[in-house]
Amino acid sequence: MVYNSELMSDHYLGEFEQVVLLAVLRLGDDAYGVPIRREIEKRCARKVTVGALYSTLDRLEAKEYLSSWFADPTAERGGRSRRYFRLEPAGGEALARAKSMFERMWKGVRLA
Amino acid sequence: MAERLLRRLVPGREGEIIAGDLREEFAARGGGRIWYWGEVLSCVAVRLSPHRLTAPDLRQDLHYAVRVLRRNPGYALTAMVCLALGIGVNSTVFSMVNELFWQPLPLPHSGRLAIVGRESDGMACSYRDYLEFRQRASAPAGRLFSGLVAYDDMRVAIDSGGMSHIVGADAVTANFADVLEMPAQLGRWFMPEDDRLGSDPVAVIGDGTWARLFGRSPDVIGQRVRIGTERYRVIGVAPPGFVGMSPPHLVEIWMPLASQPDVRDLLANPGEWERPLVQMIGRLADGQGTREAEAGMRALDARIRRDFPRDNAPAGAITVAVATGASRPDVRAVAAPMAALLLSVTAVVLLIACVNVANLILSRAAVRRHEMAVRRALGAGPWRLVRQTLAEGLVLGAGGAALGLAVGYWSGRLLARSLPGFPHGGMLALRLDPDWRVAAFAAAAGLASALLFTLAPAMDAARINGGGSRRMRQRDVYVVAQVALSLVLLIAATLLVRALEHALEVDPGFAMAGRLEARLSISEPEYTADTGRLFLDRVLAAVQAMPNVQSATISHNTPLSITDATCAAPDTNTRPRRTGSDIVAAGYFDTIGIPILRGRAFEARDRQGAPQVVVVNETLARRYWPAKEPIGQSVWLGCDTKAPRTVAQVVGVARDAKYASLDEPPQPFVYRPLAQDWVGFMTLIVHTPGRPEQFTAPLRAALAGLDPDLRVYEIETLEECASGSLFRVRWQAALLAVFGGLAMVLAAVGLYGVVAYTVAQQTRELGIRMAIGAQRGDLLWMVLGRGLRLTALGIAMGLLLSAAATRLLGGLLYGMSPLDPVSFAAASLAWTAVAMLASYVPARRAMQVDPVVALRWE
Repeated sequence: MVYNSELMSDHYLGEFEQVVLLAVLRLGDDAYGVPIRREIEKRCARKVTVGALYSTLDRLEAKEYLSSWFADPTAERGGRSRRYFRLEPAGGEALARAKSMFERMWKGVRLA
Repeated sequence: MAERLLRRLVPGREGEIIAGDLREEFAARGGGRIWYWGEVLSCVAVRLSPHRLTAPDLRQDLHYAVRVLRRNPGYALTAMVCLALGIGVNSTVFSMVNELFWQPLPLPHSGRLAIVGRESDGMACSYRDYLEFRQRASAPAGRLFSGLVAYDDMRVAIDSGGMSHIVGADAVTANFADVLEMPAQLGRWFMPEDDRLGSDPVAVIGDGTWARLFGRSPDVIGQRVRIGTERYRVIGVAPPGFVGMSPPHLVEIWMPLASQPDVRDLLANPGEWERPLVQMIGRLADGQGTREAEAGMRALDARIRRDFPRDNAPAGAITVAVATGASRPDVRAVAAPMAALLLSVTAVVLLIACVNVANLILSRAAVRRHEMAVRRALGAGPWRLVRQTLAEGLVLGAGGAALGLAVGYWSGRLLARSLPGFPHGGMLALRLDPDWRVAAFAAAAGLASALLFTLAPAMDAARINGGGSRRMRQRDVYVVAQVALSLVLLIAATLLVRALEHALEVDPGFAMAGRLEARLSISEPEYTADTGRLFLDRVLAAVQAMPNVQSATISHNTPLSITDATCAAPDTNTRPRRTGSDIVAAGYFDTIGIPILRGRAFEARDRQGAPQVVVVNETLARRYWPAKEPIGQSVWLGCDTKAPRTVAQVVGVARDAKYASLDEPPQPFVYRPLAQDWVGFMTLIVHTPGRPEQFTAPLRAALAGLDPDLRVYEIETLEECASGSLFRVRWQAALLAVFGGLAMVLAAVGLYGVVAYTVAQQTRELGIRMAIGAQRGDLLWMVLGRGLRLTALGIAMGLLLSAAATRLLGGLLYGMSPLDPVSFAAASLAWTAVAMLASYVPARRAMQVDPVVALRWE
């Protein structure tokens, strides 16, 4: 049970982390900063600041749920490159765990 | 602009990416400057959040810092010792403040013990009020306190071994020990039967008294000792460490309140509502906070006033506060400014220590420029390097705080032991035990100083091309500041020491040399005024007959601690004014060497029944009869406007003297003859041509021969009395001298470091100078000159600062100017000498530079 109590906390996904991971998953090959933000803002109807987004992306990459690479610079970005993100297998597992956790919790519950 | 800020704050590729994202969106949105700024600021906020700052690298930083410091033990130790001295004195002073203001009583669940009283009356209330409060506040419905104790602080004399000792005592109600949850260490505490009219007087003694007067003998239980005027049976010994409810005032004896005459009077006459006054301490009932209890007590107070209407009911509202530190408001009021002064002084010492460490880190930074350059080349951002320096600072600060706690503990012990400089030696005691608050304070001081002393070097380390000359100038500024700050402390200490000497040189207006005083209690029930006067005549006759006695006399007060006052007026129409007053025997003026300027001193004819006479001093004579002959004038004595005042005739004018303290301005004063006035407490003054301290034992024997039961308090020379009256300035002078000396040593170390560092940096230059013919003396002066220039600048600034700061000492200088040139000059000279020494050592090294070696340097 050491595994559960100690490591589970590392594997636990925060709500915003789940949202970001799902956005990356949804966007597939087109997942870089701007569309990720748009996706979240559109589907969740909430504002996301670039600072919060990148700190979460960095954290998820440090946990190896995501990986990123840099594309070639483009003119529309003032000669700067894009950083694309991709969901790693560990990230997929974490999302699945989070989903099944919620499903277990929701089972047989009805909001009055 | 916003983009530049962003790139600055989010360095490297990541910043580029975010800037790219933002530009893309900026274009897609078609503008929105405010939006852009908001986004940039969101990055800033995320990056500066503490969570991110303490990110996983911190452990790595700390690990590396510890390794670096372990590889340079000399550097680490020097820095930590400097810090430890600074933090140590701070935590000592803080533990004093802690004890005076925040430390709870050393009792179980002391957080539930509350002091209750009317703040307007010094946290007191009448005993009759207490009885009502006690009954109503512990009623089962709406219980406020599980127990409420009344106590009264007093000083009593306890007799042992032929001497009487004045100690602090509390008269308490019988529930005292139950409410405080404090078992006796030996014997028992009081029972309800002990606190009733007519019960056998019993007492519990403190651990200190048990050890000092009874040698910790268990036989003390059941012994009768004379306390005040009655013989009490000792029934118990209080637990060690308990010294009453008003620390630092030491309480060593506890008696039932009903053994006190004024309480007995009240118990016999329950109509009395105004006195005696008592203080209250209670244990809050379960579920009651101080605020609820206070509201409850105020409601009870109003109800009691309604139930027992009376004319002059006390006006002040009841307050309830947890008993911490010195519970007496007057003690707090005296202690607060003293604590503020001491804390600011020790803060300056810590600041100087921090500057030293900053200097050390700066010189280390010069050595480590290579390492830093390599790390930067390998991709370490400036923030990374700053953090590394901060981590080293944190480790140094933590080490300094830990060592500082040890230093503080040790210096606290020293301070607590050296405290008997207080008047009435045993009446005050500081334990200075470190507790979690002191530890937290030391930790906070360590953290704050770590930030302080690493910030500047860290900024420096982060600068891309930190030039050597800039760093030098910064170090110079530090040294100048150190010299200036420590000079302020040194000047303040010198001023106080000089004030002390000055005060001892002040002409008190009477002769002290060769005079010894003994305080005697000649009060009821053993003596009445008549038998007392007869007894004093016998004492005087016996003492004057002793060998080596020039003369002897009696007065009520001890010189220089005369606090007695009466009111005097030249006629019945003038409003009486407060005037110092003493009762003296016939030979007083001769023995104590106060000349009678006009008229005569008291003589044998000034008996009881004879016309009332007084001798006044010059100031009083000048005030009431400026142009008239004072001899033969009448003085009306007495403050009470209702009671008949007495009229007395002036028969002599005595020269002005100092009465209560050496720094007082001339006071009006009235002497009354012993034959016409009486109090049961007298001072015997003996003038002996020999050394007065050798006369103590024979005098005590002679007094015991006249009345073996006579209570004799301290026997002291008048010089001891005078120096005792200077305890406050003496104490502060001693502390400031220690802190000032410490500050100077720390600053001297700083100066030495800077000069030595310069010499090391200039080795090559010195070698070249020597090679082209410079004399060794020239080099010596070159190096010395640098140290002295810095010192001179520091002294100049220090003098300016001191001129502003010493004004705060105004009240302690016994009439000396806060700008006393001698003190300013002496402290500056002392600093110059120290500076010479601190720069001479490296200068000598400069002289010994071998040009050949120096030219091959680097």
